[in-house]
Amino acid sequence: MGTTPFTIAVAFVASFALLGVSGCSKKSVQSGGDTQSSQQSKTAKSESTESSRTGVGNFPDTSMQSGGGSGLRGLDKNPSEERIGAGSGGSGNGMGAGSLLAKADTSDTAARQMDEIRAEQAASTAAGLRDVFFGYDSWTISDDQRQALNRDADWMKSNPSAVVKVEGHCDERGTTAYNLVLGEKRAKAVRNYLVELGISANRLSVVSYGKERPSCMDHAESCYQQNRRGHLAVKTGK
Amino acid sequence: MNQRTFIGLILCCLCALTGVVGAADVFLEATRPDFQKIPLGVVSIENNGGPDWLGGRLEEVLKKDLKRSLVFELMDLPSLGIKVRDVGNGLGNGSKAVFKQAAENGVSVLVWGKAGLKKGEKEDDVNMEGFVYDSGSDEVVGGKRYAGSPSVVRLMAHRFADELVFRYTGEPGIARTKIAYVSAHGAARELFVMDYDGYDARQLTADGFLNLMPRWSPDRRFLVFTAYRDRNTQDIDMIELATGKRWTLVSYGGLNITPALSPDGNFLAFASSHEGNSELYRLDTRTKAVQRLTTNPAGELSPSWSPTGREIAFVSDRGGGPQVFLMSSDGSNVRRLTFEGDYNAAPAWSPRGNWIAYVCRTPRKEYKLCLISPDGQKRMQLTTGGGIDDSPSWSPDGRHLVFSSTADGKSHIYMIDADGKDLERLTFEGTHNSAPTWSPAS
Repeated sequence: MGTTPFTIAVAFVASFALLGVSGCSKKSVQSGGDTQSSQQSKTAKSESTESSRTGVGNFPDTSMQSGGGSGLRGLDKNPSEERIGAGSGGSGNGMGAGSLLAKADTSDTAARQMDEIRAEQAASTAAGLRDVFFGYDSWTISDDQRQALNRDADWMKSNPSAVVKVEGHCDERGTTAYNLVLGEKRAKAVRNYLVELGISANRLSVVSYGKERPSCMDHAESCYQQNRRGHLAVKTGK
Repeated sequence: MNQRTFIGLILCCLCALTGVVGAADVFLEATRPDFQKIPLGVVSIENNGGPDWLGGRLEEVLKKDLKRSLVFELMDLPSLGIKVRDVGNGLGNGSKAVFKQAAENGVSVLVWGKAGLKKGEKEDDVNMEGFVYDSGSDEVVGGKRYAGSPSVVRLMAHRFADELVFRYTGEPGIARTKIAYVSAHGAARELFVMDYDGYDARQLTADGFLNLMPRWSPDRRFLVFTAYRDRNTQDIDMIELATGKRWTLVSYGGLNITPALSPDGNFLAFASSHEGNSELYRLDTRTKAVQRLTTNPAGELSPSWSPTGREIAFVSDRGGGPQVFLMSSDGSNVRRLTFEGDYNAAPAWSPRGNWIAYVCRTPRKEYKLCLISPDGQKRMQLTTGGGIDDSPSWSPDGRHLVFSSTADGKSHIYMIDADGKDLERLTFEGTHNSAPTWSPAS
């Protein structure tokens, strides 16, 4: 649980409490101002990898636009008329601070995705790949679940050109965000076991869908256990 | 700080004693527990031509907005014996009698108006006039006039409500804010935006796969969110609301989740597992320099900026289950905030800074909303009962939260006051609505 560095952090904070008036505000001054000394207190190191990476896109300026009163003009004894535009968020000047909403782009992306999902499902069913199921909050593969993966590995060995996507899924309990992390842990556990069985890692990709693509929709354990799964899908096309 | 609170207390007592509540231009700290709501009565919005529903609709929306503002105590005028008519422009003798009655019954503010067809220009345009009487100064302190198509009638009422909140608190109000959220379309999850009261939902994405956990830009013009490129790779995308234009901000491979722009828009914090397990990163939106904030074999995710931008609340599962931690926004000074229970996640720092809302798993294994002060000294459970609660997000005034819950079976979006009162369901359509995020105030 990392208690040792944590104790140090607590001691560090406590020393400030002893030193001065408000331990709390002291702390934030410290962290904002003097990074050098606060380096000592932290439990996690922050390595500044100040490198521009290729995987970063363009950012517009999103800072709050100035303008006191936020577009509101106040009450007036002789008010002039303010025109309210559709989707303007009620802002009289029509700018609406960007709340004017475009219609969703109804390109054929959705249809293409649907076709690809169907193709993927058909290929996976034909291959007879089996899912692996997990316990509540767990990403450990139990002995009986390894049986399924042993068979999956056999299929991959006899189909050496096949590339498989390992999907990590969760039941609906817990937060959307943490279930994405949990789903990745499950998918990686499956991938690691398949690699142990001799499958080349570059034939296995990993993706977490968290609790966002459940196979079963009921709020019951019988359903939850079907959703806590590692699903193997044969990649088609791309 | 203490001195200010003390002075505030005295002021509040004085107000209560004299029955004159903060006549104009006084900043009232309306989130304080001892805040006295301002007694306000809506006389009526008279229909003066136009569609039958016009006046009634405006009045209904306005009343709900004023009630939700938590700044005003909505008074029932008929039960006080106050006739709900004959106020006109507030200058006639009939109106004087109503004002007197209102003042005698402790109603500090009276609001009324009329609505009808706007002559000239476009044929079906409507207009609305609203007036405000303040018993403190015993005068009609002013009004507003709005015009537009019948489709923006709700916005007229929202805008008038925000003007009232602005006059009595100096704050912009929340009636014109929006809530972005995720809604299921078949097996796909698309982004939607609706008004803060659940009306006028619009679809933003339509790519037929997963679009998750949107967050607003400080200027309300963009959302950042997680999407899946070709269903296999997670990216962090940005979409411009006005145009629907969409592009990728971060494509590192692995998990790329829980993006959150800093309050000044200069940094994007997010979680990514491209270097192994899920870690937090901070991207300078001007230089595109990326700084790794956490280094830990456990999973880190869900950064939420403090309103000053100096600190970040986040989730880490070092030690087993997920817990809420705090750190400086450069990654230093990490400390654990939550100790009760074995599952605490999805932190959301209040825009007033005084609370962090999060999802807590109770001893009965229910996922509910909790609040904790950033110093860890105060903690309370906000929601109770069955249903899985998730994704708390604060209103910009810090008086409400939106969240998703399966309390009624399917996942829907709800609003609740920060003190746990007035639970209100906002979505009724569809099979799954989740991950609500409240826009900044305009």
